[in-house]
Amino acid sequence: MTEASTVLDIRGISKVYGGRSGHRGVQALESIDLSIREGEFISFVGPSGCGKTTLLKILDGLLPASSGRILFDGRELVGVSREIAYVFQDINLLPWKSVVENVEIGLVGRGQAPVERRRRAMEVLELVGLHGVASHPPYTLSGGMQQRVGVARALAINPRVLLMDEPFGHLDNMTRETLQIEVSKIWHRMRMSVVFVTHDVDEAIFLSDRIAVFDLDPGRIVEVLDVNLPHPRWEIDVPAQPEAIRLRRAIIERLELRKRVLI
Amino acid sequence: MAWQLYAAPMNPILLPTPIAVLADFVALVSDGTLVSALVDSFSELILGFTIAVIVGIGLGVLMGRYHRFEVVFDPYVTFMNATPLVAFIPLLIIWVGIEFPARVIVVFLLSLWPILINTVAGIKNANRGLVEVGTSFGLSEVQLLRWVNLPSAVPYILAGIRNGIAKGIVGMIIGEMDMALAGLGGMVAVFGDSFQTSKLMAVIFCTSIFGVVFVGLLGLIERRWFAWIKETAGSQK
Ligand SMILES: Nc1ncnc2c1ncn2[C@@H]1O[C@H](COP(=O)(O)OP(=O)(O)O)[C@@H](O)[C@H]1O
Ligand SMILES: [Mg+2]
Repeated sequence: MTEASTVLDIRGISKVYGGRSGHRGVQALESIDLSIREGEFISFVGPSGCGKTTLLKILDGLLPASSGRILFDGRELVGVSREIAYVFQDINLLPWKSVVENVEIGLVGRGQAPVERRRRAMEVLELVGLHGVASHPPYTLSGGMQQRVGVARALAINPRVLLMDEPFGHLDNMTRETLQIEVSKIWHRMRMSVVFVTHDVDEAIFLSDRIAVFDLDPGRIVEVLDVNLPHPRWEIDVPAQPEAIRLRRAIIERLELRKRVLI
Repeated sequence: MAWQLYAAPMNPILLPTPIAVLADFVALVSDGTLVSALVDSFSELILGFTIAVIVGIGLGVLMGRYHRFEVVFDPYVTFMNATPLVAFIPLLIIWVGIEFPARVIVVFLLSLWPILINTVAGIKNANRGLVEVGTSFGLSEVQLLRWVNLPSAVPYILAGIRNGIAKGIVGMIIGEMDMALAGLGGMVAVFGDSFQTSKLMAVIFCTSIFGVVFVGLLGLIERRWFAWIKETAGSQK
């Protein structure tokens, strides 16, 4: 990878939930520092409860940080940005809207004309192979198809940063592997920055340029690792690569270490 | 059948036979009295109820969405909902009279509160994940209401409407009995006072059918336009 410029600069972000009048609250994140580069694919791995979702929501402007700043292109980020899109863990499609209308939601937020946004939504649905079910209600689709709609909804606004929160966590292994390849292909084609949360170490290695390893109590980043594997990854047998084996061991050791200390 | 056998030997003032009730029903229909009463009652109910739906949903959305509105209106809503509204009828007679507009107001006053209260609850209890989606994708306040909060409140609102129509029918009958005798309620009062039990029962059945038809119609609307309610029941958070 050549030196890329920073798109999102996370500086000293902390988050305390419910710390008011006497209560100490939950320290979900403690002084996170991380630069997310233009066009990179970075994954967050770590145990449940280490603040991955919290950090993603702060980046998206859905949650205020307790302290610290986030710079987008060097400018302080306030509120929800039009250039950042979110793929939710629970997918959260509107059941009263059709698939294509769900994909249009971000374009509605931008005040695009109906004809224009339908055209764009169909284009993105075609990209994820779902143009055939555009007029269907979302609850008639399988879990994998629903998350494809979630991805299409985020892609529709042509984001510079794509935040994905354990998007394949609820899916079976076959579907998950297919979607990993699809996401990788989409990223190759569109070249936005992707921040991908997962607790699946292999998934992180397969997809990422870098992996940030989180730990909890308080939630923090303990290590950032480079993944020195060639792209495109779907053309190589990633788990068999020595680099993948080394990374896997390093990450699991870091996560296991914590358990041993606690015992 | 059981009713027919049980009622046959009894005094028809206490319990008329179903055959007698049916005969009276046919007679009341064919001489036109029942039909014109139905038209009277129906127009009161529809008018009062429609206004209640519009006001209930409109005010409910404002109260559910904007704290300022809630603070202002909530005490009145709580008060009115806890008051037996029938007690207002003499007051309404003094203020508005006993004719059609007064009876429409009675229907309105009885059916409004369940619709209003349910709308407020529905708007407030919108699925948090879906609200987050709307916010994340940059919807404005009005867009968020139209795309997320209002549709999300539809199951609550429909339940409120179902309850509201039942109360509205009660209001309609009471209004017609206590104010100027008119419509179905008027017939109930007249036949009741003159011990024409079989005619009375024919009219009462007619009112029940009224309620059943409305609830059935609501079910139809729900299945036709809000199929997602059944499909996603239980999965909403
Ligand atoms: N809304 C909230 N209120 C209070 N505590 C919360 C809230 N959301 C998350 N937390 C707590 O913050 C910590 C981090 O949560 P989260 O960001 O969801 O972690 P992860 O996504 O890594 O599993 C957990 O201890 C969780 O219980
Ligand atoms: Mg999470």
